[in-house]
Amino acid sequence: MGGVLTKFLMKHPSILVFLGILSVFTLFVTVGSEAFGVGFISTSLVKTLGKTLCFCLIAIAMDLVWGYCGILSLGHFAFFGLGGYMIGMWLMYERTRLIVENSMANAALPPTPAEIQEAIGTQIFGVVGGAEIPTIWMFAHSLPIQLALVALVPGLLAFVFGWLAFRSRVTGVYLSILTQAMTLALALYLFQNDSGLRGNNGLSGLQNIPGLEAMPQSELSIYFFLLSALALGVGFLIAKLIVENKMGNVIMGIRDNEARVRFLGYHVETYKLFIFVLTAIMAAIAGAIYYPQAGIINPAEIAPIASIYLAVWVAIGGRGRIYGAVIGAALVSMLSSWFTGGQAPNIELGPLRVVWVDWWLVLLGLSFVAVTLYAPKGVGGLFDLLKTERSK
Amino acid sequence: MNEALLEVNNISVSFDGFKAINKLSFSIFEGELRAVIGPNGAGKTTFMDIVTGKTRPDAGEVIWGEKNFSLLNRSESQIAQLGIGRKFQKPTVFEEQSVYDNLLLALENDRQPLSVLFYRRNQSDDAKIEEIAAEIGLADRLERRAGDLSHGQKQWLEIGMLLAQEPRLLLVDEPAAGMTLEERDKTVALLRRAAKTRAVVVVEHDMDFVRKLDCRVTVLHEGSVLAEGSLDHVTENQDVIDVYLGR
Repeated sequence: MGGVLTKFLMKHPSILVFLGILSVFTLFVTVGSEAFGVGFISTSLVKTLGKTLCFCLIAIAMDLVWGYCGILSLGHFAFFGLGGYMIGMWLMYERTRLIVENSMANAALPPTPAEIQEAIGTQIFGVVGGAEIPTIWMFAHSLPIQLALVALVPGLLAFVFGWLAFRSRVTGVYLSILTQAMTLALALYLFQNDSGLRGNNGLSGLQNIPGLEAMPQSELSIYFFLLSALALGVGFLIAKLIVENKMGNVIMGIRDNEARVRFLGYHVETYKLFIFVLTAIMAAIAGAIYYPQAGIINPAEIAPIASIYLAVWVAIGGRGRIYGAVIGAALVSMLSSWFTGGQAPNIELGPLRVVWVDWWLVLLGLSFVAVTLYAPKGVGGLFDLLKTERSK
Repeated sequence: MNEALLEVNNISVSFDGFKAINKLSFSIFEGELRAVIGPNGAGKTTFMDIVTGKTRPDAGEVIWGEKNFSLLNRSESQIAQLGIGRKFQKPTVFEEQSVYDNLLLALENDRQPLSVLFYRRNQSDDAKIEEIAAEIGLADRLERRAGDLSHGQKQWLEIGMLLAQEPRLLLVDEPAAGMTLEERDKTVALLRRAAKTRAVVVVEHDMDFVRKLDCRVTVLHEGSVLAEGSLDHVTENQDVIDVYLGR
């Protein structure tokens, strides 16, 4: 197996280039961090960078499903959010349990398990007027099970949705609308107080890792940053292994001419389903690493617009080249947080005052239109120009 | 007489009341080359759609192979795996992919996602692809993007893809459309060679092309068989003359 991988890497040096840049960047941030280095990169910036890497990972998933397989899914943030919820349940439950057990430890009478359960329930669900721990939290005490659920729950949702949609041969814009409906329905359901996931309050305090209370956030943030980078590197490699192989030929064929692939004897629906579920799981893993860095998840995160942004990132970065998706996600999400974070200087134009917090979306919209019209290959297309220049 | 490879019995299909195929019966034997001709709207393409599973007939049966499988209620991909390959009217190759990749996609191999995922390029497949590329005259263009090929080359690539599928029956829809004379002759040679090892059905408008194929001819008209036999035989048939020249 090792030999095969080495041969694959030799044949596709772009992977090594990508992993090299990623490693150098990771090293740079670690050395610049407050916890492990000279400290010119603040902890909050480390978290932003870590979160950005998670966005890059979900963008790779989007490029696989859209750029290579031609399925314009506008619902992948639903999987991202679900992944976040699954890990968030463990984080919140375990942390609350430790706090509750600590505060009860000094009581005159040792608390019974039922009392502990009730206290945990009140702590977590008091905000939505409950004290019972809902059934869906039955595994919340177990990290391994919740980690498995990070992949299983979004994977199952993607499987059921994809199976129904692809089997009925729903394609194109109709499928996009269905995926929007899916993420909207999920968000609306989670907004309800009795959904069992704290309604619009969502899950919070996720930046505190149970059992690691002693570790300062500056240090934790670097570990999560490194984990994000590792996940992105592995995700990139997996995506490349898929698209630079016969599987890539088949799914690109499906993108360009589905009927022809069918007449070649491939069961198109199975392939679409495979890619859809695989990318849903990639998105979910990205979400599960993202939310402990964000600290809070609520249903607004999986609103339909989030998944549309995802498509915009990939379009701006350039579809069908994997690294393009990474560039697009990093560029646009960093710019977005710069413009909406109030750091961008506002522009006074007489009667018109350009406040970037409001005008950023206009700028994003215009750039999206410009890319679609004038540079359909996106930012990644610039690399093609370089290549042709050199070969001249 | 030996068993037919494909037997179509009394099929009918109508679209919004229009009978595209009307009680059509047709059979073809192993290793046979057959031309199907007919004026526009005679049901030639619909006939192919039914055999390959794209369209379901309202009545009748389609029987395949020595085990007498019914092809109705089977999906396009299943029918393709049973050994029926189809070439469309418009050349449909995967333009974004190389000639090699196009042939690799078509090459007879396990079509399950898992075996595709773990597929590894190997010498025997490479050799087969090179052999087919040589046959269709694209041996020196394996790494070219298929979209950059000329119209005629795309048609051959598509025929090459069909050969790579190793089907027992090849359905070819208007292969000569848009070809130069020279390209036509090459296509005729290619199809005649293909028919040595498998059954080939060619749907064509062009009488001249059919004459060069030099094979049995079936004339379709208004969804059923009007005449069958050698080209000279059918062109002397009064019904055929009426249909083609107008009454």
